[in-house]
Amino acid sequence: MQEKMEKSNIFHTLFLEPEKLINKVVTSKYNPLYYHGALPQFIMYVLFLSGLLLFAYYVPTVDNAYFSKNLINAFTSVDYITNTIPFGAVVRAMHRYAGDAMVIAILLHMVRVWFTDRFRQYRWVQWLSGVVLLLMVMFIGQTGYYLIWDERSLLLTRMTVSAFEAVPVIGEPLKHWFLNGRNITNLTLSNYLFIHIGLSFSLLFALWIHYVRMTRPVITPPPALNYLLVALILVAVYLFPITETKMADLNLQPTNMEIDWFFLWPYWVLSSAGAGGYWFWITVLLAVLCLIPLPMFYGSKAVEAAEVVTNKCTGCRLCSLDCPYQAIEMVPAPAGSRFKLLATVKAYRCSGCGVCVGACAFDAIDLPDLPDAQVNLKIKELLEAK
Amino acid sequence: MAEERTVITLICERAADINNLINDKDEVTDAPGVKVLKFPCSGMIQPLMVEQAMKAGAAGVIVCGCQIGDCYYREGNKMIRERLLGERPPGLKKTVDRKRVLALWLSKPQKDRFLSEAKEFLSVVRRLDIEESKKG
Repeated sequence: MQEKMEKSNIFHTLFLEPEKLINKVVTSKYNPLYYHGALPQFIMYVLFLSGLLLFAYYVPTVDNAYFSKNLINAFTSVDYITNTIPFGAVVRAMHRYAGDAMVIAILLHMVRVWFTDRFRQYRWVQWLSGVVLLLMVMFIGQTGYYLIWDERSLLLTRMTVSAFEAVPVIGEPLKHWFLNGRNITNLTLSNYLFIHIGLSFSLLFALWIHYVRMTRPVITPPPALNYLLVALILVAVYLFPITETKMADLNLQPTNMEIDWFFLWPYWVLSSAGAGGYWFWITVLLAVLCLIPLPMFYGSKAVEAAEVVTNKCTGCRLCSLDCPYQAIEMVPAPAGSRFKLLATVKAYRCSGCGVCVGACAFDAIDLPDLPDAQVNLKIKELLEAK
Repeated sequence: MAEERTVITLICERAADINNLINDKDEVTDAPGVKVLKFPCSGMIQPLMVEQAMKAGAAGVIVCGCQIGDCYYREGNKMIRERLLGERPPGLKKTVDRKRVLALWLSKPQKDRFLSEAKEFLSVVRRLDIEESKKG
């Protein structure tokens, strides 16, 4: 019988039901919901590779000698990639849609992590570094739109400058950093390219922080899922080829643009709320994202960290190898011990899951809430009770 | 005929939600003889606990964790699975009759599946009991 769905439990409809269905169809090994963290990572490789191909032909200049036949600048180089190089348009569109897919995958990851309650206490580092990563990805995506150097890029550049100018005290320096000078010049585009690529590689550093408290992070989805994902991106590439746009003209002021809702929605906020409103809303959003893991919202009791029974520990390292949160460190055993190493628990990293208890063949590590001895006693009690 | 022995279920409290299947004596109401002990994570279950349950007179042991790939604490269910299969130390002793150990990987909504598997397992181990008592 189909079980009754709990009321107001969006999580059920949003995740558990599709999860059950997908498990039935493709088994849990290929369920993309179990690789929500690994998907953005794979998409990052797709972006790195397609970006490398684009980078080979991209020219970061704004040279604007109009009507000149052999004009070489950012826009014409993108045009060359799109129209002359075999499959250039495909690679370019893949780069764009993989970027959109990245945002979708990150949002899925974030929402699922939030719904499954896997973001706070001993996991706050992962959540906060995740917020930083999201911010980086957003900015990288936006700089990607500046690089094309069509009318939209010009409008975005000017809008960004207006937003920076509204920042008190550091507004002007921010603007100069952003434009790489006081005005839009060739150096501006090389700055964009530097931010776009430099920040992309900085993702790897931020990912390291994202993973540093996790043992064996799941970072590769099964190949079958990867193929499927690339196929989906290719479908988007062929269904929605990138439309031709007009080159930016510094003497004109474009006023309208198509909005990529994955990356460019902040510009929608900027145009409807003004620079002051923009910074207000962005700050509120970031503050909310950063404050989500604060323990005071959940009234949960602190984790009871596992405790090592010092005189039983043989220093075999199994618990430290199996701990999913890198919370157990092997230290030299105190003088007089028969063994070389002793396990110690870093309480601030411990989740109280008890995997270390399962790993220990010597009953030398215990959860204060449920020690081994109590488990065995309970088993006996259950067996004796009639 | 031998007396009807008990089956012990060692289950993760985040796996199949069987709270309303069990009575106040930690016994599954619809499958009397199946008793339940909950853990914060199936990764906490030691093969030693399975062994000791058998030694203390259990007819069989059900180990139940979450769907493989979706452990709340990241890898607990994979760990106990590998330990039971002997792929990760500490493993389950060779003397433990593998026919009497059932491992289930069920997500929260799969309590019906748990019930049917538990009933089937109970009848299987009890049949084993009868066969063995005839032999021995």
